[in-house]
Amino acid sequence: MKTLWSKTYHWINERVELDGLVEFMGKKYVPVNSHSIWYYFGGVSLFLFIIQVVTGILLLLYYKGGEALAFESIQFIMSKVQFGWLIRSIHSWTANLFILTALIHMFSVYFGKAYRKPREITWVTGMLMFFLAMGFGFSGYLLPWNELAFFATKVGTDIAGAVPVVGKPMMVFLRGGEEVTGATLSRFIGFHVAVLPGLFTVLLGIHLLLVQRQGMSEPLSYEEESPKERKTMPFFPNFLLRDMLLWLIVLNLLAILAVFFPWELGKKADLFASAPAGIKPEWYFLFMFQTLKYIPGKVFVFDGEVLGIMTFGLGGLLWLLVPFWDRKSSRGERNRFINYIGLFIVLYIIILTIVGWIL
Amino acid sequence: MNRITRMMMGIALLVCVSANALRAQDKCLSCHEATVGGQPVEMFKHDIHHAKGISCAGCHGGDSKTEEMDQAMNAKAGYIGVPKGDEISKACANCHANAAKMKSFGSNLPTNQFQNLQESVHGKLATNGKERIVQCTTCHNAHGIVAVRNASSPVFPLNIVKTCTKCHADAAFMRMYNPSLPVDQLDKYRTSVHGIRNAKGDAKVAQCASCHGSHDIRNAKDTKSKVYATNVPSTCAHCHSNAEYMKEYKIPTDQFDKFSKSVHGVALLTKHDLGAPACNSCHGNHAATPPGISSVSKVCGTCHALNADLFSASPHKKAFDDRKLPECETCHSNHEIIVATNKLLGVTSEAVCSRCHSEAQNAKGYAAAKAMRSLIDSLENNEKKASELVNEAEQKGMEISEAKYKLRDAHQARLESRTMVHAFNEGRFREVASKGLVVSATVSAEATDALDEYVFRRIGLGLATLAITILAISLYVYIRRIERRQAKGVQ
Repeated sequence: MKTLWSKTYHWINERVELDGLVEFMGKKYVPVNSHSIWYYFGGVSLFLFIIQVVTGILLLLYYKGGEALAFESIQFIMSKVQFGWLIRSIHSWTANLFILTALIHMFSVYFGKAYRKPREITWVTGMLMFFLAMGFGFSGYLLPWNELAFFATKVGTDIAGAVPVVGKPMMVFLRGGEEVTGATLSRFIGFHVAVLPGLFTVLLGIHLLLVQRQGMSEPLSYEEESPKERKTMPFFPNFLLRDMLLWLIVLNLLAILAVFFPWELGKKADLFASAPAGIKPEWYFLFMFQTLKYIPGKVFVFDGEVLGIMTFGLGGLLWLLVPFWDRKSSRGERNRFINYIGLFIVLYIIILTIVGWIL
Repeated sequence: MNRITRMMMGIALLVCVSANALRAQDKCLSCHEATVGGQPVEMFKHDIHHAKGISCAGCHGGDSKTEEMDQAMNAKAGYIGVPKGDEISKACANCHANAAKMKSFGSNLPTNQFQNLQESVHGKLATNGKERIVQCTTCHNAHGIVAVRNASSPVFPLNIVKTCTKCHADAAFMRMYNPSLPVDQLDKYRTSVHGIRNAKGDAKVAQCASCHGSHDIRNAKDTKSKVYATNVPSTCAHCHSNAEYMKEYKIPTDQFDKFSKSVHGVALLTKHDLGAPACNSCHGNHAATPPGISSVSKVCGTCHALNADLFSASPHKKAFDDRKLPECETCHSNHEIIVATNKLLGVTSEAVCSRCHSEAQNAKGYAAAKAMRSLIDSLENNEKKASELVNEAEQKGMEISEAKYKLRDAHQARLESRTMVHAFNEGRFREVASKGLVVSATVSAEATDALDEYVFRRIGLGLATLAITILAISLYVYIRRIERRQAKGVQ
């Protein structure tokens, strides 16, 4: 067995010089400190993305696009395809857990100021991936073509349409017309299985390459410690094995969720039916949705909804560019202001999400 | 004679004396009688208004106390000539909408007729767009108006049908306002029990105004109309539930009570289901009469078409006709039709079949009824069981929509079998019932499979969790071992 492994390694090494990579991996160390737990969320997010790719491909084997077939094909997957129910439920649950772990990963990076020089590009690619993940969620939500998805897409694209100047053309582009129809579904399938995965893979490649090249960021407090006090662990195999241990636990959690809480299919979308009461978007859009509900119709001379959307847009842009305006952290100085902003945003998202969920 | 009676007589005497005095002063009438004469003058002499001392000037304006024509028929004295269009009804309403004035003439007539007329279907604008379709005089005449109780009044119960049909039987006139409204109501009415009695001089029976109202007539589709579907039973019951009023006709007066409790009555009156029948659906409206024994199934069949067809072709049709049994009514009753359950079928004491079929006297029918009951009970039980299994599987989160959809077929088969009962043919009944039994069995099997799958998933999860846990523990032990080895190496 060992001979076979050695022969295979030797065969590959002769061609692509694996030795260099193995040496690099062997010398790579991960800082060990009181914040180390947060390092794992990036890995978990990656694992969940891989699950999404695998289950997504499996679902594509049976999923049929189109107004007349989408719902029925998911019904078929859930009831007739061997383990189809498991694959679909895991895909749906993973989508949500992926957003959650990516969100935790993002905030841990933010509070650890890991975005500071020289990791600005890593932060920007991560943020862009997070926006794409939300796009994955929004586009994938419509694919079963059920009642809730249909109206959530209608509301979501309506909100997009309220953006000044580009809103209307953007809405028409997203919908494939003035209304949410079968044309919208075709587009969303395209975005979900081709456009977004393509972009995401490129960004993920850059992101992982930079993480490997630059190593894990160390917290400012860690840098203040003397080199003797700094603890580390080898990335390979220690950190990778711990990562895999967590992945196993996450996998088990997904199986439990899929079995005990199978993802419901609901009723087929009816283009002529009125919207059911209490229509809500997915939980990760809820804080924005709830905020827009609270903003008055008119704020001074501005339209309330437009103002809300523009505020979120501006907020997102500032968040994306945080490494470039938080110069203090880049200089290695503490910046409490950044922490306060982050804390406010976390509390805002949590409270508004809960309020939106309850009301 | 008490004090109040004396006072009332005094007032009546005063009104008579005043009326006579006023009549004597009516120079319009005396002058027109002497100079022009003619029908209006002659008719007005018999008019109730003339009797009450109201002069021509009451409607035409002017001064009725002077013999000078220039003064009497002077616009300054309020003379308006012959009122036209809506001015006619307004002239009537001057007194008839004024409670104090009406009281001064000793009248206790309601004073809302004008308002009711304006709100009624007749109060809409006429084709010329200048006046309402109907004025007071259209029905009551202009000169020679008498009390409704007076047999010569055009709105007296025996005359009113002719008054209404002046317009309503005129196809050319009615076409201008409502082309879809029939114009044969009078012909139909004359064939009804009401119409026949009315023609014979019975003023108590229903005529147009009894059901449609008088001044407040509304379109039958108007929910406030007395003949709107949900109001019809109470309109009919106004007379037919009045035991005292109906005494001389010697017919029951409990129809409304029974109907209210019936499946039709509950649907119509409680659930406001306009598809449910009202009295007129079975008895007719203008031609209202109880359906004859042989036509009951046809009348019920206007809605229950399949049941009626099956019955007409069944062996029961001849048997019922021979015995002069009123078809549907024999088993289902008439006004108090209750929801038909399986209990009606079979040979138990509650079953209607057992009224004629017994094991000793009619063994074939008895056996068929027994077998059909057994089949329909099985059908219901199997459908219920299948439905429970589907619900259980659904509640457990299983995707069972296909089986749930098939359950509709089982339900449909049960409904079809209930209809097929009316063929009174065991073979045909069994054929339909079998379809339902097969579907129920298929649905039950699919739901049971889903429930088995539910258990399988949990067992599978248990095994997967066990495997993952063992793997995770092994990995953890392996990591610890590596780290211990690395720690020793460092030392």
